[in-house]
Amino acid sequence: MDAREIILARLRAQQRDEPHPPAWRSRRHFPDLIARFGQALEEVGGEFLRVANWEGAWEALGKVLDDVGAKRVVVNPDPPLDRFDVAARWPTVEWHVVGRDGDVRSFAREADVGVSSAVAALAETGTVIVASGPAHSRLAVLLPPVHVVLLPASRVTVDLFTWVAQWRGASSPLPSSVTLITGPSKTADIEQTLATGVHGPGRLIVVLVEEGGE
Amino acid sequence: MSPVTLGHFRAQARQALADPFLQQALAGATAHFREGRERALAELPDAEALRDHLKAIRRATLARLADHLETFERRAQDAGAVVHWALTPEEATRIVVQIAREHRVQMVVKSKSMTSEEIHLNAALQAAGIQPVETDLGEWIIQLAGESPSHIIAPAVHKTRQQVAELLSRATGQDLSPDDIPALAAAARRFLREKFLLAGMGISGANLAVAETGSIVLVTNEGNGRLVTSAPPVHVAILGIEKIVPTWADAAVWLALLARSATGQPLSVYTSILTGPARPEDVDGPKHMHIILLDNRRSTYVGTSYEEVLQCIRCGACLNVCPVYRKVGGHPYGSPYTGPIGAVISPLLFGLDQYPALPHASTLCTACVDVCPARIDLPRMLIDLRTETVEEQLIPRVDGWAERGAAWVLRHPRWYRWASRMMRWLLRPFIREGRLHLPPRWDPFAGRRLPAPAPRLFRDLWERGDV
Repeated sequence: MDAREIILARLRAQQRDEPHPPAWRSRRHFPDLIARFGQALEEVGGEFLRVANWEGAWEALGKVLDDVGAKRVVVNPDPPLDRFDVAARWPTVEWHVVGRDGDVRSFAREADVGVSSAVAALAETGTVIVASGPAHSRLAVLLPPVHVVLLPASRVTVDLFTWVAQWRGASSPLPSSVTLITGPSKTADIEQTLATGVHGPGRLIVVLVEEGGE
Repeated sequence: MSPVTLGHFRAQARQALADPFLQQALAGATAHFREGRERALAELPDAEALRDHLKAIRRATLARLADHLETFERRAQDAGAVVHWALTPEEATRIVVQIAREHRVQMVVKSKSMTSEEIHLNAALQAAGIQPVETDLGEWIIQLAGESPSHIIAPAVHKTRQQVAELLSRATGQDLSPDDIPALAAAARRFLREKFLLAGMGISGANLAVAETGSIVLVTNEGNGRLVTSAPPVHVAILGIEKIVPTWADAAVWLALLARSATGQPLSVYTSILTGPARPEDVDGPKHMHIILLDNRRSTYVGTSYEEVLQCIRCGACLNVCPVYRKVGGHPYGSPYTGPIGAVISPLLFGLDQYPALPHASTLCTACVDVCPARIDLPRMLIDLRTETVEEQLIPRVDGWAERGAAWVLRHPRWYRWASRMMRWLLRPFIREGRLHLPPRWDPFAGRRLPAPAPRLFRDLWERGDV
């Protein structure tokens, strides 16, 4: 018998009927989802910018790029960013648009900022959720020291439980990589002293677009 | 490794107690985690009910573990991952080395994994001529120092900033100041960034695995878990067979309690959900994904009185409240698994004859049960293991007699009363100003001044109706 058979046989010999508990339902009720999201994000060290529409979003992004002094920016054109030509708005910046401009790896390691959208966000914990795909490089929002998320307000849900219930209801398979991001990269491994940006981005900036569509 | 005997544990514990930096670091870190946990759970509308729910999930999952493992295997394979099964640590390391050789890997990057510590993976890789690089800052520090982790969550809690600066200066060839901790972290970022991009393979553990989608879930705060599983062309994940849940509804409960119980964060900074290797349409990510399911005796405890310990989600909350761990730290345990949970699983996974001291390294105060997100009754199992150490004569005869004597006295109320009186009489000469002052060579309390026994026995007060 190989290891697999031995392990399964041992477990089967002890198998017993025990009802599995039903799914836990979220017990959170936030009067203002967006306000809670922003507050939770700031509590974990993220930066929260709230704008009315996409024009406001570009203005906010422009300020961030200026502030950082960004020369090289990589963008994951996740929906709905695929509807816009983000790169054309800042012709002085060197852009890499994932899915259009070839090898992202060597560009992303030298980039100052990574820009993406998010498939969902959790109000309870201030979390944004990104997913891999043809328009979303994992490294593009991981290697640069700053990650800017342009997030339509409609994508904010209550918590982990409501998020899981939503996509378990849909039948599409999980992307190969889904990442829940809750604040900037941090460590307290040296004398319990907080240091940010140790491997991932040291700044996480979420631009929440109120009338951002779906 | 020589067994962790009572003598070994006591000697190591004495050393730890005599180290003022360690005492301060342990007190600071464990208090920080304890307060964080309390705040985070208080902020939940229903923490106690959620803990009960997690307990029910863990118990029910173990009852049908074979089914869930088979579902997980099938779904992970559907997603393109290769699933391996390992009965022993040696089998697991052999599989990892073989995968590395097939891909002609010379250097691997690792994210923090207790399971890889359990199987001594780094030693096996080095023996095979493959260089392992730990990338969690704390793990990297102790790898550079050639030590073992002293806390499940904070592996380098015992190192001073001066020691860290020295180790990192040597590794990076720079002159780094101990007084600028962000600069130390930045130096580590630059140095390890190159390793991530050059490594032929990434090795991670998994905090949990989800059967319905064949996914593994990995949490880190630094982002090294994301890099290890995104940058190299091959990803190998190693996990114990018990770290599985059937559905995402279950996984959400686990995740809602994991970081809150560990550090007091609502979620760890990064929670990576990985389902197979990169798809053909993906822009990047590993081309190959291997998952190793490690048994190492776990399956032999299902259906026994020790099954409950397999409900553990490895948050480390029990370490932070344990009066023994908080004073002696992780090293006296001589195992990657330390504190109350380590005192139970180290003997179970590696043999009680290797760890006879650990079941005794506890006051049985039950603080660990109070904070465990799965409410695991560790003291019950510690007592069972103690019984085994006495019956199998794994502890010195004198300690065995003491245990047997105590058991006998506790079973006989008259003798218990007599022993209580006797003890008070014997201690009387050593009481000054309401405190016990034992001569140093008999003093088991390492210089702490315990309060003197109360003037009258509680049972006497009770019998006379004075309470």
